[in-house]
Amino acid sequence: MVRMFVAFLSAVVGAALVGTVIQTQFNLAEITALTVDVDMAMRMDTIIHDLLHFGPVFALMLTPTLLVAFIVARGLSLWRPQFERGWFIIGGGLGLACTFWVVDSLAPMPTLIAANRTLVGFLLMSSTGAFGGWIFDRLWHPQPRELAEELPA
Amino acid sequence: MKQLILAISLFVLSAVSAQAATVRTEVIADKLNYPWSVAELPEGGFLVTERSGQLLYASDSGDKQVIKLDLPDLYATAQAGLFEVLLTPDFVTSRELVISYSCGTEDANNTCVVRTKLSAQPPYIVTNSQNIFTALPKKEGAAHYGARMTWLADNTLLVALGDGFVYREQAQNLDNHLGKIVRITRNGKAPADNPFFHSQAPEIFSYGHRNVQGLIYDQARDSIWQHEHGPKGGDELNKIVKGGNYGWPIATFGIDYTGAKVSPFSQLPGVKAPLYQWTPSLAPAGLALYQGDLLVAHLAGKRLQRLRLIDDQWQLEGDYLQELNARLRAVYVAPSGRILVLTDSAEGKLLQVSFEN
Repeated sequence: MVRMFVAFLSAVVGAALVGTVIQTQFNLAEITALTVDVDMAMRMDTIIHDLLHFGPVFALMLTPTLLVAFIVARGLSLWRPQFERGWFIIGGGLGLACTFWVVDSLAPMPTLIAANRTLVGFLLMSSTGAFGGWIFDRLWHPQPRELAEELPA
Repeated sequence: MKQLILAISLFVLSAVSAQAATVRTEVIADKLNYPWSVAELPEGGFLVTERSGQLLYASDSGDKQVIKLDLPDLYATAQAGLFEVLLTPDFVTSRELVISYSCGTEDANNTCVVRTKLSAQPPYIVTNSQNIFTALPKKEGAAHYGARMTWLADNTLLVALGDGFVYREQAQNLDNHLGKIVRITRNGKAPADNPFFHSQAPEIFSYGHRNVQGLIYDQARDSIWQHEHGPKGGDELNKIVKGGNYGWPIATFGIDYTGAKVSPFSQLPGVKAPLYQWTPSLAPAGLALYQGDLLVAHLAGKRLQRLRLIDDQWQLEGDYLQELNARLRAVYVAPSGRILVLTDSAEGKLLQVSFEN
């Protein structure tokens, strides 16, 4: 149970971190496309700001999403256990894509997360849910070869 | 009439300024469905737009009459709908009005302006409605239309527009109307002295706006004052100049609703900095000039603010009407000198407000 909880927490945090950094790059890309230079220091400041302010919001969005997605993935794993890792990856990705769609349908604005305004952004942001699925299953049910991996000295 | 009976004076002792000014509030008309703007008629009474799509005449005693509008392309949902009604400068002789509204469909809409003619006396009708402006491109979604308007001294019309929310970068693109203030003649033509007459959108007067909700020409100072909604923080009060870039989305004091930065810059060279900014946001939704001060109606802030120009800086003189606990959609100072305020709800009210020092 503790292992499952730690795996879930790691999945949420990992997906939130990666998703935050991805959306920051999309936002900054839009600014630089308007011929405004953004230097590395400013880019790092923006990433840190977003990790502190966007990250928790995204984690709140991820928590119920991955919870439901992983329950479904677990069910599918019982049916086809050989694809367990895949179920969790697909479940996390599709789950987050569905959440974006539901949130955008309910929120007053057409698209809550600016990075989701483009198809590429939407797919990349959704893929952070898949990353969360990978983290969860990797930590919860590591495969024998993963357990055999040597730790760095 | 009932509404007159309902016109109860609420003497409100506002915890406002050091001068402890008081305001008196009187209900002129109620049961208005999300009223958006009001215009006082020279013969008495008011024209009121409801965002849900109706133009009303409200008498001083609160009697109401629906004035049928011929707007087949009106798109009314969420933030979209019927917006500002403004009398033309020569209304007394021409009886003409301009009305802004959202036009189109869910997938393709934007802000439109019609010029129409009001009959001489009640029961009022409007005739000869002609579209004089359509903001382009038509875009998806029902957010950020701007739609406030004001006449300049040369009888050209400024129309404020919004960025459509998800098209924010287009506010910097001079080939369309998203996130701009445009200047047109009463026939909808772009005056030849507009600053970007060479572009594909020659109506543009200024750019880099997010969602302009207050716009007024100050004849005494020959200045145009404007306010616009920031996202989370960064609501701005600006002095609009011809050709000015007001920064959205490359420079802003606000952040996105998700907490993400829209831009790392709050100021940039070549970008007009706001003269006053509200962080956290109060959602300023209406702007009026009163005795040289600016009155600002706030939606989320649920208050009327009075700003005073001191040493070339706008400073807060006082907060008013917080006791009403109502979202305020608009404030006007009518030609008669009356201060008119609209509350924003399905049971909205037209209020007359008086300052008493």
